[in-house]
Amino acid sequence: MTKKRTIIGQSPQKVDGIEKVTGTAMYGADYHFPGTLYGRIKRSPHAHARVLKIDTAKALALDGVKEVLTYQDVPLKKHAGLPVPRIGSLAVDQNMLTGTARFVGDGIAAVAAVSEEIAEEALDLIEVEYELLPVVLDIDQAVKVDAFQIHETERNMVMPPIIASHGDVAAGFAEADYIIEEAYSTGRPVHAYMEPNVCVCKYDLNAKLTIWSSTQGAFSLRRTLSEELGIPLHKVQVIVEHMGGGFGSKQDIYQHEFVCALLAMKTGRPVKVEYSRKETFLATKTRHPVTVRLKQGMKNDGTLTAREGLYISNTGGYASHGPGITAVGTFDMTSLYRCNENWNLEGRSIYTNAPVAGAFRGYGAVQGFFALDVQMDEMAARLGIDPVAFRIKNAVGEGDLSPSGHRLHADSLAKCLQVGAEEVRWSEKWESPQSKSGRVRRGIGVGTEMHSSGAYPDITEVSGAILKMNEDGTINLLTGVADLGTGALTAMAQIAAEELGTNLEDITVISGDTDVVPYDIGAYASRTTFIGGKAVQNAAAGLKQQLLSLAAKRLDSDESELDIAGGQVVRDGEAVLSIKELVKGEGGTPASSLISEVTHKSKVAYSFAAHFVEVEVDTETGQIEVKQITAVHEVGRIINRQGVEGQIEGGIQQGLGHAISEELILDPQTGRPLNPSFVDYKMPLAMDMPPIKTIILEEQPDPGGPFGAKGVGEDPIIAIGPAIANAVSNAIGVRIRHLPITPERVLEALEEKNQKSN
Amino acid sequence: MKKLITMSLNGETHEIAILPYRSLLDVLRQDLGLTGTKKGCDVGDCGACTVIMNGKAVNACLVLGVEANGAQIETIEGLAEITANGYKLHPLQESFLEYGAAQCGFCTPGMIMAAKSLLDENPHPTEAEVRFAIAGNICRCTGFSKIVEAIVHAGNGE
Repeated sequence: MTKKRTIIGQSPQKVDGIEKVTGTAMYGADYHFPGTLYGRIKRSPHAHARVLKIDTAKALALDGVKEVLTYQDVPLKKHAGLPVPRIGSLAVDQNMLTGTARFVGDGIAAVAAVSEEIAEEALDLIEVEYELLPVVLDIDQAVKVDAFQIHETERNMVMPPIIASHGDVAAGFAEADYIIEEAYSTGRPVHAYMEPNVCVCKYDLNAKLTIWSSTQGAFSLRRTLSEELGIPLHKVQVIVEHMGGGFGSKQDIYQHEFVCALLAMKTGRPVKVEYSRKETFLATKTRHPVTVRLKQGMKNDGTLTAREGLYISNTGGYASHGPGITAVGTFDMTSLYRCNENWNLEGRSIYTNAPVAGAFRGYGAVQGFFALDVQMDEMAARLGIDPVAFRIKNAVGEGDLSPSGHRLHADSLAKCLQVGAEEVRWSEKWESPQSKSGRVRRGIGVGTEMHSSGAYPDITEVSGAILKMNEDGTINLLTGVADLGTGALTAMAQIAAEELGTNLEDITVISGDTDVVPYDIGAYASRTTFIGGKAVQNAAAGLKQQLLSLAAKRLDSDESELDIAGGQVVRDGEAVLSIKELVKGEGGTPASSLISEVTHKSKVAYSFAAHFVEVEVDTETGQIEVKQITAVHEVGRIINRQGVEGQIEGGIQQGLGHAISEELILDPQTGRPLNPSFVDYKMPLAMDMPPIKTIILEEQPDPGGPFGAKGVGEDPIIAIGPAIANAVSNAIGVRIRHLPITPERVLEALEEKNQKSN
Repeated sequence: MKKLITMSLNGETHEIAILPYRSLLDVLRQDLGLTGTKKGCDVGDCGACTVIMNGKAVNACLVLGVEANGAQIETIEGLAEITANGYKLHPLQESFLEYGAAQCGFCTPGMIMAAKSLLDENPHPTEAEVRFAIAGNICRCTGFSKIVEAIVHAGNGE
């Protein structure tokens, strides 16, 4: 008998909703303690320079300045900036403060002063003499044999190339009737979360360091500071009560977090380092610009025979997630569409003096699947068949290999395509571009993707959960997961309530304090519901078992006759005893709490999506208007419906921006970002968003996830890019292979097409 | 040297001494300890610091604290009422909760104040009017779908 789901699948009010709508939620910058000093970082204005001389005397002499640190005053030891390696590859190349600036904005010194204004003034008083070094911004320049080595690696490669190889590619191409080989590229968008990076540190007389930081990985931050500063873990406490978005950028450890801790330790006063908005553009992370050369073979019947590709990412001045996203992007291209299991793919990551690229929602898949999905459209066009039918024919499904090497067990991708095509009436709407005319042309396109929940097997995936049942039957749920706005905490409570049979309002979620909650790696790789949620489900199951044992004794029944629902012990479908009654103490002595604790190690699962986009392109101005988006997502099981919809709508907003308007533009000579502000970095806002229809499927629940639920956070930003590019191509009859599709690019494409036909 | 100003803040009169070059945003957050209003950019590009000043929605980072002398200021902290039976949320706050319109929540106070300013003037706005009213409020999490739904719903008084 399938138990009726009462709590999961619904949209109960978020457990932290009231704080957010009343302004009482505490974010990093909201913490203020008496005697707080304000920290600021002095940043290199040069993309590549060595510090020859640095003089802090005038800064130190300024009234109100309490401490000045240069790169000479901090531990010399390099670190990787991120604590969890993907594919075991960590480039240890970052400094807390550096004597060699490798991108515009690299931090070389820091001050702590009694006010922000004095701290700013002090920065200007630090005198620096730089030796300028050659600035390398493009991959082509960086990989030359004689190029300046930014980190003393050959041809500025971050790591040896990543190779994915399977089957017999030569034979595959030999039997192809048609071979296509093209180059694709994606741009340099930034995360642009609303809450600028911030860190507040206190170092008390017990030599304990307490950190309030806007971070996605509290335990990772704790461990890195512990290791790099030489403080034992029990003396380092990271608290994240609320954070204002991250999208992957706040997975990394930044210079301000080290600097804030060091300044607090040296001054003995609380220190707050708050990034300006401009600093979040300059000195946090961007997405990796990637070029993909992709070659595929196809038979006349539309089956693919082989795939070969080269994926090159520009990681900027430091490696950060260069190796990780390159690996994910490269291995992702082995799947999504079958190619007779013949592939040969190579991934490289290259240092340049561009702003540092890091983890960003969609992690390498955005770039890899853009190339693959656009090429699928090109091949369909070449054959003269409908792009959706072509995709359904080749979509990976039951028995096919996923990027992680596991075989899939359902045809979820094909299902997403079928459902979406029907919803948008694709067969009626889709027309070949030749039939279009007029100044404003309409087009429809499709984009697809698949993405893992969690990063296994690249890393060991672990999450912990503790359920404490109080003596009145209510529960404190301690979870290590990070909620960066995703609604994770609410989902955890729903999972616990559903599994246990209690009411949602009887659960309080405790999170965001590394002294108190069990270990969790952090919020990324769409792992939180799948892995954190499973830990919660298992802990709830354990607690339920304890309660049923107790109840069996109390009611003189067999455990198998009993269940728990709505906060009641149930026998033969009837409520016979409340949980509150069951656990309360006897003879005036309160009962001790019942505790269930689980550390869950996970495998991997994949979610899928197909996005259908209708656009109008003005062939005179090059402007694109997205008229309608239909997003079909397969997620295994919905835990919180509004939560899932919210991730899809938000991911589409970011992906839409990346596709048509967002780019951090660099001065080609100096490498300086030219638009580090909201006014010049163009994101879609309330008036720019088209109507979005979301359809959520539960085709392929995964037993590794809570009630079968898989991730969804990253899928939407991946599928939307190729969908828009393919829609634009359909509208104007020219193939779009590069993001962002700015009006200039549209006009260039049209001009090229006109020239060719003349 | 600090200047003495007097303002009506969420219905209460406050007299405080502030640095003359401080923004209203910094006065609210630092001098008055009201951290509900957020600093997203400090240069008037994002709307996270939206408050209502003399009945008009403004970016508090673009208003000097001294300009608030003699003014009526409404911030997010003034919307919910504490009554004898607990708290009573403003219809916009109820609506944001019902529609799941807050994800990370950082844009939410500014967004709600911008929406309140709209509803104060135009109690039953259309979707297009809502989108126009919040055109200067950046949200990076939600795609605006649920925010717009929540505001329209609050306007319809359903």
